[in-house]
Amino acid sequence: MNTSKFFLAGILWMSPLAAGALPQATDNQADLFKQSSIIFAGTVRQVAATSFAGVPKSAQTIVVRVDSVLKKPTAVSLKNGDDVTVEVKDPAAFQDGTQATFYADGWIFGSGVAVKELGHEIGPSGATSGATGTAEKTFGQLQQEISDQDLQRRVAAADYVVVGRVTDVHQWTIPKSVAARYRTSEHSANWHEAVLQIQSILKGPKIKRNKMIVRFPQSRDVAWVNAPKFEKEQQGIFILQKDQVSGEATASLGGYTVDAYTCLKPGDWLPMTDEARVRSLLKK
Amino acid sequence: MRARAGHWTCVLPLTVFALMAGTVLGRGQSPPSMRAGAAPAHAKVVDLIPTSLSGETNQDSEPFLAVQADNPQVMVASAFTPNPVSSAGNAPVYVSEDAGNTWVLNAITPVQRMTCDITHAMSTGENHPRGDLHAGTLACAASVTLDESESEDVSSSAVMNVQSTRTNVDQPFVRALAFSHIDHIYVGLNDLGQSSGRTATVDVSLDGGATYKSYSIESRKTMGQDGPSVRPAVAPDNTVYAVFFGWRKFNGSMATSDVVVVRDDAGAAGPQAFQALKDPSDKLPGRLVVKGVSIPWSNAPTLGQERIGSTLSIAVDPNNSSTVYVGWADRGRKGDIYTLHVRRSTDRGVTWSKSDLAHTTISNATNIALAVANNGVAGFLYQQLAGGRWVTHVVQSRDGFATIEDTILASVPADTPVEQFLPYLGDYDYLIAVGNEFRGVFCANNTPDRANFPQGVTYQRTADFNTKTLRDGSGNPVAISIDPFYFSVPVLP
Repeated sequence: MNTSKFFLAGILWMSPLAAGALPQATDNQADLFKQSSIIFAGTVRQVAATSFAGVPKSAQTIVVRVDSVLKKPTAVSLKNGDDVTVEVKDPAAFQDGTQATFYADGWIFGSGVAVKELGHEIGPSGATSGATGTAEKTFGQLQQEISDQDLQRRVAAADYVVVGRVTDVHQWTIPKSVAARYRTSEHSANWHEAVLQIQSILKGPKIKRNKMIVRFPQSRDVAWVNAPKFEKEQQGIFILQKDQVSGEATASLGGYTVDAYTCLKPGDWLPMTDEARVRSLLKK
Repeated sequence: MRARAGHWTCVLPLTVFALMAGTVLGRGQSPPSMRAGAAPAHAKVVDLIPTSLSGETNQDSEPFLAVQADNPQVMVASAFTPNPVSSAGNAPVYVSEDAGNTWVLNAITPVQRMTCDITHAMSTGENHPRGDLHAGTLACAASVTLDESESEDVSSSAVMNVQSTRTNVDQPFVRALAFSHIDHIYVGLNDLGQSSGRTATVDVSLDGGATYKSYSIESRKTMGQDGPSVRPAVAPDNTVYAVFFGWRKFNGSMATSDVVVVRDDAGAAGPQAFQALKDPSDKLPGRLVVKGVSIPWSNAPTLGQERIGSTLSIAVDPNNSSTVYVGWADRGRKGDIYTLHVRRSTDRGVTWSKSDLAHTTISNATNIALAVANNGVAGFLYQQLAGGRWVTHVVQSRDGFATIEDTILASVPADTPVEQFLPYLGDYDYLIAVGNEFRGVFCANNTPDRANFPQGVTYQRTADFNTKTLRDGSGNPVAISIDPFYFSVPVLP
């Protein structure tokens, strides 16, 4: 995701806010920033129009010339001077020549880009603002804040957060008693189990024998491609849920029946370098 | 017309020649080898990735295509293409309103980010000029969820309306046709929740998707389930066929399977749906086209970087529903990884050709897709691993493949790019007859090299054919990946 150092400069200056109101405004902008996949400053060229074939024209669609791109996914081609179709919430707010920063989500991608407005700030491009220095500093904080919020939500929802090392990986042998439930599909998970030697528990009650079973899909099918896959000796922070996916909530570990856990979303496993950050977030 | 052997030892020299000819002739022209005997003169191949996504490097595999019957300028294609801007956004489809020359990506499916199976069809019962798109999509999260959904305007920003939802099914395959201004929708799927193990199923809607009824079409004992692919075919006279793999044994890497065809003569509207065709051996519904074939099952790179296990297709003559073709793959010959076969019935599925039709036994190939044009010409799309390349063929025949015309759409390196996930190219591609054209979609390595596309090719995304380099919107090089390609080939007269 490309972003511009000018982003916050723009939003700081565009908001006609008293100094006392700024923290609140920054929170709102942070939410808008997070929700928006594409943010750009631009000048309205035509209302009730579209910029390329394939986009349905309506009273809500306007064509905006891009003055500066503030945030966009890498794959999207969007640069200064491009015309973008924006489906706006309130067409009355715009006329030819209106300058604004648009917070938007992607809509239609063809020979050009069409987006749906999530919010906007009227005013010329923030790139010219004198607040740039402050903005650059605050922008980094904002990015970190958003990333931390995601992680905080993730660890808050977890049953366990542990630091550990994988000591063994093996294919899960489906118990005969439940085998009839398991059918063959190209989306089959090919469940494997990682035996986790726990080094420290960051969240969750104490574990007997300091070992856990983490069940994970070894399949390379499209359904499971983003799920973390584990190898022997792999170390890190594991954000774990009780297994409600494989169809069997327990596992066998050293002759004992124990709860099985999963770690299925990208980011549910983190490298050791994130340990201090996770510990800090857990204290909040 | 000149008949050509289907096996690769004969095809490869032709492929090389065709590629050389294609390189010389460039876009839009057919090389001499293709021209012999009224070869298609104006084949069209278009990379679907739009200009504004020139920087993408996704593995956009497993393509599908729907064509608006009343206005074939309007088409919808799909692939494993994620929402380009947001993991929380809807999975997109590709939309063309100019007969496939240009495409846009529109995020309107009900699935978040990316589907893990999607097929669709556009029928005209409700007279929506840019709809009705009927889709079957799988969302794969903690469980697999099927949405059967509809869009009345594929260009709008409205997310498709989900009409039916259920879990624990596999490979929805949608066909639809309008009858008396009402869309009849047939969704072949593998219903893994069937406790009987008779999992081959067709979901039928006779009211435009407002309601669906499920029919198990397997009448015999299985090893616990049928194979994933269940494919329906609908004729305008209300005849509906479906084909499936009746799995009788399975050891985890090999299925012993029957290829079974069922038929319904009244659009599956009656109480005994899909029971019109009985096998003489046991008098049970479902004609056994072949019995006990060995079908390798591998959810790992096996045919090149592709997995194998369940390629299957069926097509009915739109003007003579007695004629129906079935194609599948199995481990047919020693040394082959995966061998395609096509058989034909000319008596409504009662009897079938005893052996493969001429020129249809294809070694080391997958992604079979069959279609029959209005004039009875049969089309046969497949992708073959030959000489370290994935070669995409569309074969046509006026006479049940006794004589054929073979058009090579693409021949690309098979070892690059490295797979990001499976399927590498897709568990299926698609072919459909539209007037005097065979239209379809396939996936391939997207290197901008004209030698790879003997019929010529058009890229929407930024591509430098001189340096064979993809570029993003700022001119930076972009890594090659798998893209979906649309094609149109004129039907033999």
